[in-house]
Amino acid sequence: MREKIDYGKSEFYQNRELSWLAFNNRILGEARDKSNPLFERLKFLSITSSNLDEFFMVRVASLKDMVNADYVKKDIAGMTPGEQLEKINQATHEFVEMQYSTYNRSLLPLLKQNGLVVVEKHEELSEEDCGYVDRYFQDNVYPVLTPMAVDSSRPFPLIRNKSLNLGALVSKKGAEKHGQKKEAHKKELEFATVQVPSVLPRIVQLPEAQAGVKRVILLEQIIERNMDKLFLNYDIVCVYPFRIMRNADLAIDEDDAADLLKEIERQIKKRQWGQAIRLEVEAGIDQKLLQIIKKELEIEERDIYNIAGPLDLTFLMKMYGLPGFEKHKTAPYTPQPVEALASMDGSIFDKIRKQDILLHHPYETFAPVVEFIQQAAKDPDVLAIKQTLYRVSGNSPIIAALAQAAENGKQVSVLVELKARFDEENNIVWARKLEQAGCHVIYGLVGLKTHSKITLVVRREEEGIRRYVHLGTGNYNDQTAKLYTDTGILTCNEAIGEDATAVFNMLSGYSEPLSWNKLSLAPLWLKDKFLYLIGREKENAKQNRPAKIIAKMNSLCDLDIIKALYEAAAAGVKIELIVRGICCLRVDVPGTHDNITVRSIVGNFLEHARIFYFENGGMPELYMGSADWMPRNLERRVEILFPVIDSRLQDEVYHILETQLRDTVKAQFMQPDGTYEKLDRRGKEAVIAQDEFCKEYMARSQTQKKEAQMARTFKPETHIE
Amino acid sequence: MAYKTFAAIDVGSYELAMKIFEISAKNGMKEVDHIRHKIELGTDSYLTGKLSNDRIDELCRMLREFTQIMDSYKVESYRAYGTSAIRETENAMILLDQIRTRTGIDIGLLSNSEQRFLDYKSVASKGQSFADIIEQPTAFIDIGGGSIQISLFDKDSLVTTQNIRPGVLRMREELGKLSYRSYQLEELVEEMIGGSLQSFKELFVGDSKIQNIILVDDYVSNILQKSVLKNVDKGHMKTKDFLRFVSGLKQKKPQEIAEELGIPQENTSLLYLSALMIQHMIELLGAQMLWAPGVSLCDGIAYEYAEKSKLLRATHNFEQDIVACAREINKRYCGNDKRARAREKVALRLFDNMKKIHGQSKRERLLLQIAAILCDCGKYISLNNVGECSYSIVMATEMIGLSHLEREIVANIVKYVTVPFEYYDTLRKATTMDRESYLKIAKLTAIIRLVSSLDISHKAEYDDVKLVIKDDVMMITLETPADLTLELGMFERNAVFFEEVYNIKPVIKQKKSSVF
Repeated sequence: MREKIDYGKSEFYQNRELSWLAFNNRILGEARDKSNPLFERLKFLSITSSNLDEFFMVRVASLKDMVNADYVKKDIAGMTPGEQLEKINQATHEFVEMQYSTYNRSLLPLLKQNGLVVVEKHEELSEEDCGYVDRYFQDNVYPVLTPMAVDSSRPFPLIRNKSLNLGALVSKKGAEKHGQKKEAHKKELEFATVQVPSVLPRIVQLPEAQAGVKRVILLEQIIERNMDKLFLNYDIVCVYPFRIMRNADLAIDEDDAADLLKEIERQIKKRQWGQAIRLEVEAGIDQKLLQIIKKELEIEERDIYNIAGPLDLTFLMKMYGLPGFEKHKTAPYTPQPVEALASMDGSIFDKIRKQDILLHHPYETFAPVVEFIQQAAKDPDVLAIKQTLYRVSGNSPIIAALAQAAENGKQVSVLVELKARFDEENNIVWARKLEQAGCHVIYGLVGLKTHSKITLVVRREEEGIRRYVHLGTGNYNDQTAKLYTDTGILTCNEAIGEDATAVFNMLSGYSEPLSWNKLSLAPLWLKDKFLYLIGREKENAKQNRPAKIIAKMNSLCDLDIIKALYEAAAAGVKIELIVRGICCLRVDVPGTHDNITVRSIVGNFLEHARIFYFENGGMPELYMGSADWMPRNLERRVEILFPVIDSRLQDEVYHILETQLRDTVKAQFMQPDGTYEKLDRRGKEAVIAQDEFCKEYMARSQTQKKEAQMARTFKPETHIE
Repeated sequence: MAYKTFAAIDVGSYELAMKIFEISAKNGMKEVDHIRHKIELGTDSYLTGKLSNDRIDELCRMLREFTQIMDSYKVESYRAYGTSAIRETENAMILLDQIRTRTGIDIGLLSNSEQRFLDYKSVASKGQSFADIIEQPTAFIDIGGGSIQISLFDKDSLVTTQNIRPGVLRMREELGKLSYRSYQLEELVEEMIGGSLQSFKELFVGDSKIQNIILVDDYVSNILQKSVLKNVDKGHMKTKDFLRFVSGLKQKKPQEIAEELGIPQENTSLLYLSALMIQHMIELLGAQMLWAPGVSLCDGIAYEYAEKSKLLRATHNFEQDIVACAREINKRYCGNDKRARAREKVALRLFDNMKKIHGQSKRERLLLQIAAILCDCGKYISLNNVGECSYSIVMATEMIGLSHLEREIVANIVKYVTVPFEYYDTLRKATTMDRESYLKIAKLTAIIRLVSSLDISHKAEYDDVKLVIKDDVMMITLETPADLTLELGMFERNAVFFEEVYNIKPVIKQKKSSVF
């Protein structure tokens, strides 16, 4: 008899941080991919930079806290926090080198070739340009700068998290007049700094010197050039940019916070004071200057990154927006009308009553979701609107509609999740606005983040109360809905409506329902549901019944789920995983018979939908939801998994999965060593799933337009006066 | 389609619950929302006899929220009831008034029997399943926070109903005062309810076999309804499987139980206690099947409202259950069933003929019927002091479906059949009864007295009694060959009281001709 394998062993798992770094590497791969339009490559590079910032502020910071607290518990892959930090450090240094090599060696020359010159050093400016930038400095920059020098009477200033700064060594003017030049110079060197203001554009366009060639310079170069105007009584010995990253993980003790709102406001203020965990300096920085910064910030040598280029590459996203380079960008895609809705007359409620409606963003427009709430706000038969808001856009039409609904006398309950990371300030503003309009605002649940995306509209109709529900995989954010691929349904299915009511009762602080009809909720039931569904496939495989799992999500790092997947694969279940980001599962685990494949798709749109397919012995079940297979989603958040009930919608959702599985260009496959590789495309058709969807939805839209035109009739006049 | 939106609020011992219903003739009762808030009112009232200020504040806050929810559904009517936790506060009336002032919600107080009756109605609202199951000997077990109600059914009819203490929450409070080891818990639970259950079995079940248990409770029923356990079908489970489930529970920690069953961890102790109680009942009664229909008091409240408002037609004759229960009590106290039925028949005929005179409703007719059945039961204790003894028996016996006040009315009627009638000023010294109830007692007593006097020597056959009311005289014609000297004497005496109450003179006439 074959020995039973213990799939809980750490050797069968990958460290989540290294897996995340591998994901960022895949994005960097897109920045390096010559087949991508040049400006798209800039965008990908910018994303790697902002991603890395967030990774450090949250994940690395957390590991540092663990190390400081002498916490030595090993992770899923058997690594202690210290070991993880070491590996991360090494990998990040290599990663940053690759980022800047891409920027300096590939992108800058290509930009130049294509009519965009980045003047890297102010010293390279012509006399005419110098005049221009100095004037720009005087008019725009100087008024907003706050130069700060450090001496015995002035303490080291606060360096804000993620801010770009110029650090300088300065000496008081006239120090050498007394014939002690050398000595005095040594003694009187002082540290001075100025923050590069984030309110001003980082990229400054220079006057056109040559037709058809745009030239830009970065703001810090302009400030550096004019540093002497900030410290008038000093000589500037040297100036170098630097940037720090601080621990930003909000660890709010919710049980102790009497007023959660105030606590979060306090935490935001505190965030900039967090421990420095990463220092970026321009390569070649003066060692004395570096030593001062290092000492004051109490940062270790290994956390210092010498950058061979401009710090903070997120400015590339702004560069992407420069006009005149459209041919170097992917043609913008306009989200198409939702076919099922466009083909019907009546209010959105009439349409939902006729059939469940699937929404696939951004290929299809997010407008129906906004309209759903807008129409509900005005509809006299609507009694109540209830919604969870995780991250909303600035000037959100949804917020406006909810406020209007409350003003129209509807009962509006909104759960605003204040704990949505990095969005807290934004959320507090919206929450207050809604409260002022008369909405009942719930500020999240103590101890749990509410990540579910659900809207319930209760309508009093002729036949009785009817509930209309929107359930989605993405946030109620009309802006990100243009960039993130998400799915959702609009339904008035009675069982789902009942569950939706129960969800909001629960979120309002009432007891959980006695039972659920269709929805599965984290943190109480969802994990068990997934384990049950995976286990059922395993049993089916054992009985030689059809058994297959296709699961698409953002991250996979829950040990219990991965273990269940290994066991299912060992029993013969074919498992296709489409995991955009972190994946702690490995594909080389003994006994799983190559039954598991993991692919990651990184494209122009951010893959964000969570879709789960279970073969169920030939009676397939499809689910969608807000949760990834991560402990935080399954155990510490309120998440919803909902089934796709309508068979027509099931076909459509399956088609989404099937198209992604056919991707031969953007899909990268996990290798036994945990790295990812693109497919050897020789002899294979080039399929880019995201492009396929764009084409499909555009084609559908065209067909519908044609049909509408063909259906146009002229009404003959039958009556002559 | 015409429908009414109705809210039922249950202020329970450990939970405040509200269900919103749409009620229509076509679709029956449709639950639209179910809002529950955990609040252990019973913990306060069972221990101290009062609710703490914090609990009252919390209760009022939640009720105000309930009002908003009702508004959001445009609820047209509501009924709110408090049960044992409120009932057992020393200052219930003051408390309810305070709640009404602070929240605008009027909470009625349900006596135990009323509450159980509504629970029972909620199960009966399940229609055919209920009708089928009570064809066989069935125990209906309703585990509340303060007490347990056990009712026995056989051949579609209620046999008896008894209330035993403690309920699950009260048991937890009691256990909290003891120091014991976990392995002793099962024995303690058995000891706490075992004595009452054993007596119940000996008195009412005897050697017969109980086939089914219908369960109404707040913990085990949910588990059976959710079908998280194997071998459960829509709340139905074989008792042997249930016993296996309970023995599994014993091996597990609260956290494991919570995870496996998908319930909050704080509920595991109450689930476990309820399960142990049910286990004990199954073992004692020897039942084979367990059915937890998963209904709550709110369903019963709504069902009763719908029935009373004529929005729904009753699927089960609940009044017949109350009558059956009264017959069973009469039987238990060795009353003569034949005579009781004869008395009942004439009394009801009198009542029906006097509709215009007494102005009483169908409900009072039922009270009269019960009094007619039970007016002799005191003889079991004392032949000389029948009235007082009958009063005590009725007051001490649960009759599912009767409110406390109604029971008191019946008790007084059976008392004054033989005891000289006391007038309001005297009577109100002993009870809190209102004027209206007093008048009911007087009117119904007058009828029963008259009927009883016809049978003082128990010779009369009431097969043919004719009633004619003309002007101020009621002519009662009895067709019997028996010697009615004694009856006629008694009749004269009781006729005075009857005339005093109704201003009608009853006259009796014997007709012997048809016998020959």
